[in-house]
Amino acid sequence: MARGFKKRHDRFVAKLDAVERGLVVGLMEQVRELVEPEQSASAEGGGDEFDAIVAGLGGVGMGVSLSAADQVADLSGRVPPPRDPALDRIFPTGNLEDEQVAAEFRRLTEQGLRARKTSNLDTAIAALSAPQEQRVSLDHDQAVALVVALTDVRLVLGERLGLKGDDDVELLEEQVSGLPEDDPAVYALAVYDFLTWLQETLAHALMP
Amino acid sequence: MSIAPVEQESRTVSPDAEVDVPWITLVWNDPVNLMSYVTFVFQTYFGYPKSRAERLMMDVHTKGRAVVSTGTRERMETDTEALQGYGLWATFQKDS
Repeated sequence: MARGFKKRHDRFVAKLDAVERGLVVGLMEQVRELVEPEQSASAEGGGDEFDAIVAGLGGVGMGVSLSAADQVADLSGRVPPPRDPALDRIFPTGNLEDEQVAAEFRRLTEQGLRARKTSNLDTAIAALSAPQEQRVSLDHDQAVALVVALTDVRLVLGERLGLKGDDDVELLEEQVSGLPEDDPAVYALAVYDFLTWLQETLAHALMP
Repeated sequence: MSIAPVEQESRTVSPDAEVDVPWITLVWNDPVNLMSYVTFVFQTYFGYPKSRAERLMMDVHTKGRAVVSTGTRERMETDTEALQGYGLWATFQKDS
């Protein structure tokens, strides 16, 4: 049974077994592929854990595949980079009143934000990948990197689950309540809830 | 993360040189970000005391949005970029 983060002296300590850590790391690696600056990297496919998790969500999820097989090459043979809708959650419009200002802001900031998020995800992945027993012990910088990384993962998973309003998690829970436990939608929601719980404990532990 | 250094404001005349009109940074409600995390970000990035950070977070949650900072356009762009770095839905605009 996992135990959430608590502040112990200057460390942020939780109990997560190898499966739980592997799940979080796998999702962070997927998000890193999505946000890293080089577009070409996103065409590699990867573990597609998101695809696995949201498979079968049907109308609930957006069903956007990141895998290379689903991307159509143009005449030059290169795969055009499709804009994944989850990117609009991670890099939202910066100005709602003026499209030109918003486009300029996006042009000026997106690559830098991508680089920072990638580096942040690297830190969080390394922190959870370090060889250890069930005990996770992070310093302050690692803890901040993880709490931010969990946000990015939850934003992507939330988009895949079709969360638009504050009540949508509850609605989704009602929708899947009749489904068997091994249904992908039930699993995806359970993963989302686990990440929410983990982030909540870490955010509280980090509160100055 | 820390606050990025703000570049000196340019004094060249531009359409945005209406210095009397302040700009604002807004944070909008979204279904994913946690109340605790949003409070943490306001405390960490702006250095706001907990009471102010919580009040702003509650405004975002109940009213759908809150003005979290006011100042020059450049400063608001910096804040918007930083808050988006934290995963919040932040925008900037001219105060109306």
